[in-house]
Amino acid sequence: MSLLEIQDMTMQFGGLVAVDNLSLSIEKGKILGLIGPNGAGKSTAFNCVAGVYTPTKGKILFDGEDVTSHKPWDLCKKGMGRTFQIVKPFAALTAMENVMVGAFATTDNRDKAAAKAADVMDMLGLGDKKDLKPGAMTIADRKCLEIAKALATNPKLLLLDEVMAGLRPTEVDEIIEIIRTLKAKGMTIFVIEHIMRAIMALSDEIVVIQFGKKICQGEPEAVACDEKVIKAYLGDDYAPA
Amino acid sequence: MTQNELKRNCLIGLALAAFALPLVVSSPTYLHILIMLFLFAYMTTSWNLVGGFAGVLPLGHSVFVGIGAYTSTVLWLQYGVSPWIGMIIGGLLSAAVGYLIGKPTLKMRGAYFALSTMAFVEGVRVMVENIDMLGPFKLNGPRGLNIPPLPAQEAGFWSFQFATKEPYYYIALTMLILVLALTYYISHSKFGYYLKSGGEEPEAAQALGVNVASCKVAANVLSAFLTSLAGTFLAQLTLFIYPKSVLTLDLSFELAFIALIGGRGSIAGPVIGALLLRPVSEFSRIYFSDTLPGLHLIILGVVLIVVMLYQPRGLTEPLLGLFDRITAGFIRKPQEDTV
Repeated sequence: MSLLEIQDMTMQFGGLVAVDNLSLSIEKGKILGLIGPNGAGKSTAFNCVAGVYTPTKGKILFDGEDVTSHKPWDLCKKGMGRTFQIVKPFAALTAMENVMVGAFATTDNRDKAAAKAADVMDMLGLGDKKDLKPGAMTIADRKCLEIAKALATNPKLLLLDEVMAGLRPTEVDEIIEIIRTLKAKGMTIFVIEHIMRAIMALSDEIVVIQFGKKICQGEPEAVACDEKVIKAYLGDDYAPA
Repeated sequence: MTQNELKRNCLIGLALAAFALPLVVSSPTYLHILIMLFLFAYMTTSWNLVGGFAGVLPLGHSVFVGIGAYTSTVLWLQYGVSPWIGMIIGGLLSAAVGYLIGKPTLKMRGAYFALSTMAFVEGVRVMVENIDMLGPFKLNGPRGLNIPPLPAQEAGFWSFQFATKEPYYYIALTMLILVLALTYYISHSKFGYYLKSGGEEPEAAQALGVNVASCKVAANVLSAFLTSLAGTFLAQLTLFIYPKSVLTLDLSFELAFIALIGGRGSIAGPVIGALLLRPVSEFSRIYFSDTLPGLHLIILGVVLIVVMLYQPRGLTEPLLGLFDRITAGFIRKPQEDTV
């Protein structure tokens, strides 16, 4: 059964159609990659799913329930966790307290939230950085902190918006490892990424969008050889004759 | 003794010292200055729930002071209701107003919220100045309301009037300690975490399950209730209220100044801010009120500019850091002895 299903979703800002009739679905326990050139509408699609925008048209089903115009905080309680393309740590709180905000989605008790946060941070290798302020952390750790915050809410579906952008190759490998671990634990993950190496290695299936429209969908190898995809990324000259 | 234990002991010591202070200080003038200091620390701490934790800048909190002062005074003068009961009724009324204005305005960002709260308090002030009778309630327009002092033998707890300053001192001190305890409790609770996260990064907080808007409204309601209690206290202390004394922007600004200089969003900030700034206000009023009225606001403005330039998070952090450095020496010694 699919955990997330997007049906004919369109998102329009005035005259601009950012997402055009997009349909896709993610099976439980799988990783779906969403790729596309800059400005293709990936983050907008994400924001519609996460409740930041209400789509102009179309339906979003989460775990069998229509959640089309639900608010982000309700979706979070239903089991959708997300990260942001630009990290948004709570600067005045320590790393641990940042994660606790997420953990409070599952409990009202401060000690339980702290325990949950500590667990998640240990799992992600942030165990020794609990008392640091986000400003004192490296960008890789801050990206990891974003994942930790989302994970602390106990999500069924994790939406990762370019968590690897701006990282060094070794750091990318670490995040890939983390995502694999999560998958092994049964997490369903919807990921936007520009780093091809990462998305090819991780995804069970990839959806490519351009100008808001889906142009290709399939297994990573098939998508990489697709003519339309190559054109979209590299231009007409590179398309196989 | 760890750093935390030391801090706790210091706080207990400070509280005890504050309770014992009237035994030493008997001058009504100085007691009055101390009472006002506690009262402003109390109001700023209440303000801090919204202005500090929730990350917005309310500049209209005097409207709640005014509601508190007017409600209890009208009820006392016309119906003989004890100001203590009037205090609670005023608080509930303020909470309702806090909800009604918070609901639409707290969605606005930055300066727009601050401006809307300023506009609201100015609007209320102009209205009260022009209304003599609000239904059955006598507000007496710009002339304000005078609470006739009771003879010394009739004054007492029930009428919230005391012949000496000491009872006021203890009431203000108790109110301050209670509101600080409440703030401490909130800042360590789920609600506190939600307020702080929503204040800093609303989008990120929403994605983590925080309904930022309703958290802010809830904080505003609580803050309005608490601020309003100070209004009743102020009315009973001065026994004379008029629109320009309790419903003014000056008062709202002063609360914001104290919080910004002391440290927004920290528990000690409002107290440290009030300790530093109230004496400035009081003494400039005592010595310069006829020649340079409003001098205290100029001084506060200059202090604020300097603090914002060099310590934008307020003075609490550096002061606590200094405390840690000084006390670190004391703490290390006993440990070395035991090793």
